[in-house]
Amino acid sequence: MGDSGLASEVNEHQRLQLQFQLFQESLPKVDETIYRMLLNEAVPLAISVEKSLTHHKEDATGQLEAELDSKLALESQQGDASHKLLKDYLAADQDQQTRIKTRLENIGFQLGQKLSQLLIFSNNPNLSFKDMDLLSVMKFVCRDVWKQVFGKQIDNLKTNHRGTFYLLDYNYKPIEPFTLEEDLSDQEQKLIEPFLHVPCGMIRGVLASLGFEKEGQVTCQATLVDPPDSKQAGAGTFTKSVSFNVQVLVGR
Amino acid sequence: MSANSASISASSAGPKKSLKTFGDDIWKNKTAKINAELFTLTYGSIVSQLCTDFERDFKKVNSQLYAMGYNIGVRLIEDFLARTALPRCDSLAQTSEVISKCAFKIFLNVTPQVGNWSNNKDAFSLFLDENPLSDFVELPMDAAKELWYSNILCGVLRGALEMVQMDCDVWFVNDVLRGGQSTEMRVKLNRIMKDEIPAGED
Repeated sequence: MGDSGLASEVNEHQRLQLQFQLFQESLPKVDETIYRMLLNEAVPLAISVEKSLTHHKEDATGQLEAELDSKLALESQQGDASHKLLKDYLAADQDQQTRIKTRLENIGFQLGQKLSQLLIFSNNPNLSFKDMDLLSVMKFVCRDVWKQVFGKQIDNLKTNHRGTFYLLDYNYKPIEPFTLEEDLSDQEQKLIEPFLHVPCGMIRGVLASLGFEKEGQVTCQATLVDPPDSKQAGAGTFTKSVSFNVQVLVGR
Repeated sequence: MSANSASISASSAGPKKSLKTFGDDIWKNKTAKINAELFTLTYGSIVSQLCTDFERDFKKVNSQLYAMGYNIGVRLIEDFLARTALPRCDSLAQTSEVISKCAFKIFLNVTPQVGNWSNNKDAFSLFLDENPLSDFVELPMDAAKELWYSNILCGVLRGALEMVQMDCDVWFVNDVLRGGQSTEMRVKLNRIMKDEIPAGED
């Protein structure tokens, strides 16, 4: 009696799971390559915005010059190439770099906020947003959010149960195609930094939409770290992992 | 217009396999896919951040989106050519078919209608019935006047075509988000750029 009840429960769960899968497959899709490109292109975009904004300020005194500039700008509407813009990032001063990073984090933040909505309405039978504590929210980020955006889960989650979390991603997808040697120079390291600010913002955005919304309550920083030895990949592949350090101030 | 487009599509249908089935096939079997809603949301975040940065100066937002698209387009064409292995197009008519039936299909899974050919066949329009970039998007009043929300597409097209020696102007003439009847993108061929031959070679 009890046995058959359990069996039908499993079936019910399986049925929901199947239904969810079918639903996911039926959703409109786009190519993955362009999504990756769009996401990565946000970095040169942010640099280019910074450039044109500071440029604009300098010109504010010479109105005529600015006018002439806008006329000339019509000719070369394309702006600078992405790789040149990335170089500009290295040349930019501290303030500018901070503004660029904030801009990228904002993009990530907005995306994160909407992502949790997207996932809440996806009818995933494994997800329940009722009575979620901080740990299950972080698990949600590691499992479902990461899966949705990067097609994989976070590889390792560590916590001290007091609001500090380490999220380790051994092969963070957006920077995976970058060719980087093991002895990474400081410049190269610096150049990757802005690419890590989008996911940082994203994590904060997801947390904000799930109740951790107070200003400055959540901080998130990402650093490149060496992967543990067991995960050492073959030669020629990207060898750095990303570690996200999330601090959540829990009221009490 | 209808007569024009009909004759063009008939003449450009490939000898072995039509471009449409070709594009469908690649989309179905050789494409890693990702949720379109995620794509829409990501693009939305980028545009909204741009609007904030430029303090709702939508002309600047337009050109920034265009520039971003251009940078994507010049690299996207490599991926496209590698995946499709299509030869060079003989005519703009064929180019238009490849764009709508292969490129848009493979990357965005939509097939815009080609039409509105100019008299000397150097310009055409792409009608986007579905546009994954602007799903569930509604523009506020001030943006609806000046912002071309999907302007990144123009940049992508321009950049990609430039890499195959076609100097084109691409711009939006109409957008449903701005209250238009349809979303219409105009492509105008300025000239075919010459292949550069290294000096001293015969």
